[in-house]
Amino acid sequence: MATFPNPLLVSPEISRLQLAYMTVAMRDPNLVHMEDEYAKLSGLPKVIAHGTFAVSYVGAALSNIVGVNNIRRLKVDLTAPVFPGDTITVQLLDVEQEGGATSATLTAVNQSGVQVARGTAKWLTPDSR
Amino acid sequence: MAIEVGHVFPKRTFVVEPHRVAEYVTALGVPPENGWSPEVGQAVPLGFFMYVTSYGAEDVHDYLDFNLLNTVYGGTDAEFLETVRIGDVLTVAPVVSSLTVKESKGKKLTFAEITCEYINEHGRVAVRERSNTVEKVG
Repeated sequence: MATFPNPLLVSPEISRLQLAYMTVAMRDPNLVHMEDEYAKLSGLPKVIAHGTFAVSYVGAALSNIVGVNNIRRLKVDLTAPVFPGDTITVQLLDVEQEGGATSATLTAVNQSGVQVARGTAKWLTPDSR
Repeated sequence: MAIEVGHVFPKRTFVVEPHRVAEYVTALGVPPENGWSPEVGQAVPLGFFMYVTSYGAEDVHDYLDFNLLNTVYGGTDAEFLETVRIGDVLTVAPVVSSLTVKESKGKKLTFAEITCEYINEHGRVAVRERSNTVEKVG
């Protein structure tokens, strides 16, 4: 079975400017990503990153190692908020190969080790095609 | 207006334009040397489908009518059946595929699942993406 680097990916430190870019790009109307005072009304200490960040870093991590064309399924659940200033590290937990496909569980943690997302993925094993 | 499972939103057809992928990649802060330089013909990054589900989806926000202050994105479950490339034309008609209401610690939690099937120019489902949005009240 193939061996994989671990962690798979360490994101750049997420900035407020990135949140602004994402808000505009996604046409996201939720001010919880832009205004601290609004976010505090939700009980948050400050603005939070869009869920897109954690999901995308998990997807990018997997694509980098197995190739985007091979991936058949990606499920990501968000488990904790991501804040500006956070760095996301994506790690592979378990890998299981069966026939021509490989399944894995993944986790994404912030710089304090708090899990912000967990996921499962399935891809075609390149050597078996 | 009550949310109905099975509600289908208007169909929309769009081109996966390089500049939209560029906006997404820029926002993520991922350098182009990772193979994400957006050019026609390149495979679209996986997370793009969660992102693309959101743009042009104002009608979904309006229909759910969730209070944004109490709403969080729960996650995504995507099946990739065919490779989608920058420049491809996709058609999608989002559907409310599930609605679940739970009570927890005095709060009412409403989970809405929206399923998007992205159909390519050959009439085949290329990507099936289910996203979950949760509204907490109380």
